[in-house]
Amino acid sequence: MTITNTTLLQDYRLKVRSYDEVLDRNGALKPHWQLLFAALEKLGIKEVGVRNQEIITKLQENGVTYSVYESSDGLNRPWQLDPIPFLIHQSEWQEIARGLRQRAELLNLLLQDLYGPKTLVKEKVIPPELVYDNTGFLRACHDVKLAGRHQLVKYAVDMARGPDGRMWVLDNRTQAPSGAGYTLENRTVMSKVLPDLAENLFVRRLSPFYLSTQQALARNFGKGKDDLTIVYLTPGPNNETYFEHAYLAAYYGYILAQGDDLLVRGGFVWLKSIEGLRKVDIILRRIDDDFSDPLELRSDSRLGVPGLLHAIRMGKVAVINPPGTGVLENNAFMAFMHNTCRHLLGQELMLPSVATWWCGQGKELNFVLENLERLIIKRVNRHRENRSIYGHLLSAAQLEQLKREIRANPTQFVAQEEVSFSTTPAFVNGSIEPRFAALRAYLIGTENGYEVMPGGLTRSSPEAGRFTFSNQYGGISKDTWIVGDEVEHAQEHIVLPTSTQYRKASSLPSRSADNLFWVGRYGERVLATNAFINIVLNALNIHQNYGGQNEHIAWLLRSLTHLTLTYPGFVEDDGTESTLLANPIRELNDLVLNVKRAGTIASSVERFLRAIKSVRDQWNPEIWRAIDLVEGSLVRIKTLKKEQADHRAIQKDLDRLYSRMFTFYGTVSETMSRDNAYYLLKSGKLIERILSRVSVIRSSFAFRNPEYVENELLEALLNYHHLLGRFRNTYRSQISLSAALDMVLMEANSPYALAYQFDALGRCLDRLPGNHERLNNAQKAVLEASAKIKLIDVVELCEYEEESNFRKNLDELMSEITALTLTASESISNLYFSHVAIQSSFFGGGNPSDLHEI
Amino acid sequence: MRYNLIHSTLYEYKQPVSSYHSITCLCPRTTPNQILGDFSLIITPEPAELTERTDFFGNTVHYFSIQKPHKQLRVIARSHIESIFSNPELPIVKSVTCREAAVAFQTDIGLKNEVLQYLLPSPFVYWDEDIRRYARDCFPDDRPLFEAIKDFCGKIFREFTFDSKFSTVNTPIKTVLREKKGVCQDFSHLAIAGLRSLGFPARYVSGYLETLPPPGKKKLQGSDASHAWISAYIPDIGWCDFDPTNDVVPRERHLTTAWGRDYADVPPLKGILFSSGKQRLKVEVDVLPI
Repeated sequence: MTITNTTLLQDYRLKVRSYDEVLDRNGALKPHWQLLFAALEKLGIKEVGVRNQEIITKLQENGVTYSVYESSDGLNRPWQLDPIPFLIHQSEWQEIARGLRQRAELLNLLLQDLYGPKTLVKEKVIPPELVYDNTGFLRACHDVKLAGRHQLVKYAVDMARGPDGRMWVLDNRTQAPSGAGYTLENRTVMSKVLPDLAENLFVRRLSPFYLSTQQALARNFGKGKDDLTIVYLTPGPNNETYFEHAYLAAYYGYILAQGDDLLVRGGFVWLKSIEGLRKVDIILRRIDDDFSDPLELRSDSRLGVPGLLHAIRMGKVAVINPPGTGVLENNAFMAFMHNTCRHLLGQELMLPSVATWWCGQGKELNFVLENLERLIIKRVNRHRENRSIYGHLLSAAQLEQLKREIRANPTQFVAQEEVSFSTTPAFVNGSIEPRFAALRAYLIGTENGYEVMPGGLTRSSPEAGRFTFSNQYGGISKDTWIVGDEVEHAQEHIVLPTSTQYRKASSLPSRSADNLFWVGRYGERVLATNAFINIVLNALNIHQNYGGQNEHIAWLLRSLTHLTLTYPGFVEDDGTESTLLANPIRELNDLVLNVKRAGTIASSVERFLRAIKSVRDQWNPEIWRAIDLVEGSLVRIKTLKKEQADHRAIQKDLDRLYSRMFTFYGTVSETMSRDNAYYLLKSGKLIERILSRVSVIRSSFAFRNPEYVENELLEALLNYHHLLGRFRNTYRSQISLSAALDMVLMEANSPYALAYQFDALGRCLDRLPGNHERLNNAQKAVLEASAKIKLIDVVELCEYEEESNFRKNLDELMSEITALTLTASESISNLYFSHVAIQSSFFGGGNPSDLHEI
Repeated sequence: MRYNLIHSTLYEYKQPVSSYHSITCLCPRTTPNQILGDFSLIITPEPAELTERTDFFGNTVHYFSIQKPHKQLRVIARSHIESIFSNPELPIVKSVTCREAAVAFQTDIGLKNEVLQYLLPSPFVYWDEDIRRYARDCFPDDRPLFEAIKDFCGKIFREFTFDSKFSTVNTPIKTVLREKKGVCQDFSHLAIAGLRSLGFPARYVSGYLETLPPPGKKKLQGSDASHAWISAYIPDIGWCDFDPTNDVVPRERHLTTAWGRDYADVPPLKGILFSSGKQRLKVEVDVLPI
């Protein structure tokens, strides 16, 4: 028996089929890849697998997602990160960075020419179609200009290594480039999970680039102000890269806002915050050009801010990048970059790009038609539905069809050479395999010119032999390491973000305030329903095991229907009621599992999570981990529903959800700073807690029952208020309604007693913004309710009418408390939340050309 | 001729409008054929802001916003215009032929730069084979382009019925062609589509036409309307206006406000409002010769 003792690197070399990153042009191993493989060897491939699992867990815990538009369930896809990084040596990177800076300078000049004098068109360097037949060319933006030397402030470039061993430019991203947040998170996770890989590689830090970005924005667009209000403008939680918007906003300490959080007044942009309107200085936008202002661009956009272009023109706000920059993303420009560079910079392009032919020219058209089967065909104007067509994948008939399409509209097409790019080591199913990869690099315009991020977002293809990376199609990301031979010096010491460095934005948008309040309300709704269903299930179990009277169970079931507002449920007073009461399990299961029915646990958890995700920037990683646990419960609930699980299995998962919700509360209470966000969440929680307790008191005791029933109900009530133990310690005797009510209503030091809750709610309201010399309506309602509770006489409350058994005093009090609590809730809403009226446009005429294929 | 122009727009809303942003394109241009004198824009309620700028096409547009709740909005644009036509007789224009023109637009790069955006489809103007076929007969190769366009506009005038109830801003040109009904805006879009489909640049002109009262009757207030016609580029001559709605070559009674690729570039008033209710619109136009 022979034992072959091959190393990982030797194994890998045998698998390499084409030009690979680990090899130089002479086929020799690059030293830094040897170091990396040595580190991998030291770990052992099994351990790499273990760490890979850790990466998956970590990313999931941190809630790193990327949503996929096509996915029918609307679920987020977890972000995928390969444990093996992509390496580029510092000496090579310097050259690449120089080329990238040249590209950026060039595109910046090109952009200004296209919206300005158009000399390139006049001097025939580029054909006029690139301006006028370019859907990115927005006429309304011809006078929308930023102060300073860069109109193109943020810029991203997709690159891959070509057959000549150099990095080639594949594509430009100039509107609102994505990925810089994922890049940062990739690095954070890698340095936590695989610190051992970087040994002796001297990986350059990323954080200085983010710091430069922050400084460049403040210096170039802050007009010397100290206290800048900077907004990170997101399309919202439904966007594919929303995770990153919230992540970067939190990292930078900018305010995460959506279009309707902003308004234009007096030429300024204002943020609707809970302190009132706040002037915005700078907007970092992640919405596309044409969506940014419905008044002058797409009138059907609900993501933008009406009047935004006006505010930019008035010089009152800087929008980065300014709307209109998407003009550069037209694929046809790739065919004219050489000449444009000579013309605008008087230089040759440093970085090569893929050979591109624009079919609007006779000679190029003929070339493309003759060589179609070995080219990649793209539409000049980018659109989500326009995918690249690979000539070699087409049948003869399809090629003919494509030729007809190109001939009919030649100006609409470009063709690119299909180049064989390099492969790079990737961890696939437990071994290291070569995969195609592309790197997205990031630049920011600073007062000293463009600065390049020392790293970037590398994406590798999920399948062997394919060159597609888009996250939409399952690409896997990699951390990108610019490695050197020594420690970088003269570098500011900036560590990667940890939870303590998560900066809170200085202002809370009203919409976020609204969501935080509902996080509190839905969260407590989940807990209250969960607690009460548990009580009901326990009562049922005991009855099943020991028998005895069961009248109290019917009362509990009816209370549950009242609590969850899932009428008719157990309260309908006819034949159906008796069947439901006799066989309650089906309905009980539904109250847990049915996501589509309002009031159920599943539906409340879902709403809770939706509200949480709408304020993604508010949660630190610790809280996010707790949220991830709750999300796990929702997934479980959906599985239970599918499997039609029995109620015992369900009860087990209810218990788990219950403690997970408390984990969330606990983490919130231990880690969130006591600011407006915290007090709004807590107010929501307390309001819901009050409503849910009052509901049960009222439905269980408004009518007097025989003592043996009432005793059971009282025990349930005390349990529901977490007071049963305390009650037994205090009274040690038979439970009486007056003693129980006394405790449940007036106990000042018990978090589920009403007096305690109103005190706590009052303290929250005092901390929220407002005029502290007078009570607002919410404070008044809480004060009144609190006084009513504290002034009652429990004995009077227990009085009942002989004939009807109706406890009028109790019922009235509970009804008043409910009304006052709802008043408080509404008043909070009126005081702090924005009420977005419906936006409509007229006479703009919509976007008719979208509706008609030409 | 001198004119006083009054364009009054009244919006009435069922529910109060809390916030309103608008762009108006109501200020007439000064052109070789007309000089704009005084212009005023009176907006009630008083706007929080009112600014003027020149748009991409050289039109003067105004941005205004109202930030207090209102249930009624009135915008009155008044202008004083002197219409100057040096030659009162209809000129017989000798122009290049259709073939020569089509070649020029493709091969003369300088010319192409200037007119390309008026050759391409635009938000309201797109065409298919039916539209091309409808236009083609009027443009035989050897015919002077000016004459051909005039004939094409005449064809639309003869074959279409003016019907203000039939179409809306968003009625597609195809429907207009099929039903042979519409208003000046539809006829202009159709004419532009026909011209562009054959490779001739054409743009949309918004403005006014002085109407004459029936003989012996006094002119009624508000009886005029805003109007639209087209302008086509003829090599060696430049932009020439044609009015397919009235089958005339516009002269001193046609007053130009603005031009663009189509209506979408020059709506008299567009806006974004925040409200939940319905709205009612009333527009009154007076073109008063002095």
